[in-house]
Amino acid sequence: MSEQKAIAPTGPVKRHMGLKASRALGNTGIYVLLIVISAIWLIPFICILLQSFRVESTWQVGYVIPQQWGLDNYKNLFETDFPRWYLNTFIAALCTAALQTIIVLCMSYTLSRFRFKMRNGLMRFMLILGMFPGMLTMIILYRVLKDLGMTQANALPGLILVYVASSGMGYYVSKGFFDTIPKSLDEAARVDGATRFQILKKIILPLSKPIVIYTVLTAFMGPWGDFVFARYIAFGSSAGSNVAVGLYNWLSKDQINTRYTMFCAGGVLVAVPVTILFMCLQKYYVEGVTGGAVKG
Amino acid sequence: MASVKLTDVKKVYDNKVTAVHDFNLDIKDKEFVVFVGPSGCGKSTTMRMIAGLEDISGGTVEIDGVVVNDLQPKDRDIAMVFQNYALYPHMTVYDNIAFSLRLKKMPEDQVYEKVTNAAEVLGITDFLTRKPRALSGGQRQRVAIGRAMVRDAKVFLMDEPLSNLDAKLRNQMRAEIILLRQKLNTTFIYVTHDQTEAMTLGDRIVIMHDGFIEQVGTPMEVFEMPRNVFVAEFIGAPKMNLMETELVREGNQYFVTPFGAKIEVTGDKADGLRNKGIGSRKVLLGVRPEHIVLADQPGMDAIPCKLEVNEMMGSELHLHVYTPDETRLIVRVPTINLSLEQRRELKYGKQLYITFEGKVMHFFDPESTKNLIYD
Repeated sequence: MSEQKAIAPTGPVKRHMGLKASRALGNTGIYVLLIVISAIWLIPFICILLQSFRVESTWQVGYVIPQQWGLDNYKNLFETDFPRWYLNTFIAALCTAALQTIIVLCMSYTLSRFRFKMRNGLMRFMLILGMFPGMLTMIILYRVLKDLGMTQANALPGLILVYVASSGMGYYVSKGFFDTIPKSLDEAARVDGATRFQILKKIILPLSKPIVIYTVLTAFMGPWGDFVFARYIAFGSSAGSNVAVGLYNWLSKDQINTRYTMFCAGGVLVAVPVTILFMCLQKYYVEGVTGGAVKG
Repeated sequence: MASVKLTDVKKVYDNKVTAVHDFNLDIKDKEFVVFVGPSGCGKSTTMRMIAGLEDISGGTVEIDGVVVNDLQPKDRDIAMVFQNYALYPHMTVYDNIAFSLRLKKMPEDQVYEKVTNAAEVLGITDFLTRKPRALSGGQRQRVAIGRAMVRDAKVFLMDEPLSNLDAKLRNQMRAEIILLRQKLNTTFIYVTHDQTEAMTLGDRIVIMHDGFIEQVGTPMEVFEMPRNVFVAEFIGAPKMNLMETELVREGNQYFVTPFGAKIEVTGDKADGLRNKGIGSRKVLLGVRPEHIVLADQPGMDAIPCKLEVNEMMGSELHLHVYTPDETRLIVRVPTINLSLEQRRELKYGKQLYITFEGKVMHFFDPESTKNLIYD
């Protein structure tokens, strides 16, 4: 900037300024466009946020800004099954995040570092298996879980089982990342006296922070926002529902007029922790996605 | 402090490529052995089999009399320095060196003592709190050596530890490794493709080629008594000159007749030929560049040739010359023996006469490439 000032009065700089100006104009255009896009994207969220503070009525209305503000909707949530659903979702997400992360990272490390018979065959097999939509398995899964007694009110363990079961197949991104860590580090650690598990724990994982965070986040997000499987397995039981399923039921014809603003409040409570989590870990998340992708 | 014994060690990869053929070697306690050879000769593979990083396809590796074929690297009591240093990037220098000690659950005060001692020996005390990426190549290599040092292992393995350093640093580190060896006083196995490193560091040198051992011997032995053409050409820089010529026996005297000259074989070499009872025959004559001298004028023992390239190396000149039948030879001439005037005259196309003494010759069989005297 100071350089620009210093040379501004001389002749040829005018053209230079012109270049700057046109670049500034271009940037302004881009920013305006981005602001418009993000506004369009944000408006529904803002509406939901505002509705959640509306206390003069509980049904859908034709305006956005509440006439009377209050926290009644949030308070009322605690008199319903909402805390139960929230806890269900939270437990499912937390367990899935923990188990899936462990499985995925071990799987990725194994496939990245060990050479064994049928290693390539296994990877190809999983690739093909992964192409079938998970929905195909819904009916049989339900039967199996029902036989195990893990449906309806007991849906939670069943859900965790379903979420975690196939997680080994999600090894691609982290394997790609592990492949970029020199093998000689493993070898040095092996000579230094480390076991394979110690190598994973003390060398590989600290070097793969972005990918670990990425794995945890994606593993957490799946159950947190799941609706289809959760609804199917809970099968009408409120106690076995997660937050998405429970809240959805409030939108039914006979409940929407008394529950609509509470629904919005519930939605906000669902979104807040994830939003905060993402904002804190955003840097790693992006690194994780791209870091794994480049060499994966 | 241990002996290492390799018996018929073999490495066959999954794709049926044999990287190492029946490798037999007895490494004595506290010996410094260097594996040297061109890339792909199996030297690193052999070392990695000793370290346990590579499966052994056949034969046995013994450390201190114990067969270690099926032991994990950590149970073999070895320390290793890698070519690319392999420092743990997320740990400080201190933690890098302390890593193996902490795995052994050594009390922190002992760890501290060992790490600081090693750092002092290697001159890296000031960098202990730094991460590896904040170090230069030479400093990183020192950390890698420090990491291996603190383990007090039975065998110290080094896999081309200097090849990532620039030439000047390499010379310096080479000298430091010699000092380190005196301090540690343990068994060393060192892999390199650089014959200078091999010659200066090793008590014994193992020269490998295509998975086979070509020769095992002290630096003096492999230099003076190469068993075959490969060893003769590999050891020494620039490499040995080879000429196809006739060896002529006249009574008890031997002569060679390269390019029309006639030079008598003298000294040990003549004795050697006589003892082996070798008669007149075709030979591959080897003469090292530093043993060839410029002759003042044409003569019976002088080979006429023309100068092609003159490389000024500072203390010496490397003259690339070609004989009338287009054989390329290299002559190493110390600059101190030439006047400035003479040096200026050494330009492309200049007519030269070269000769060499009878005691510096090496004789190889043109077919088998084996040394006629020493094999």
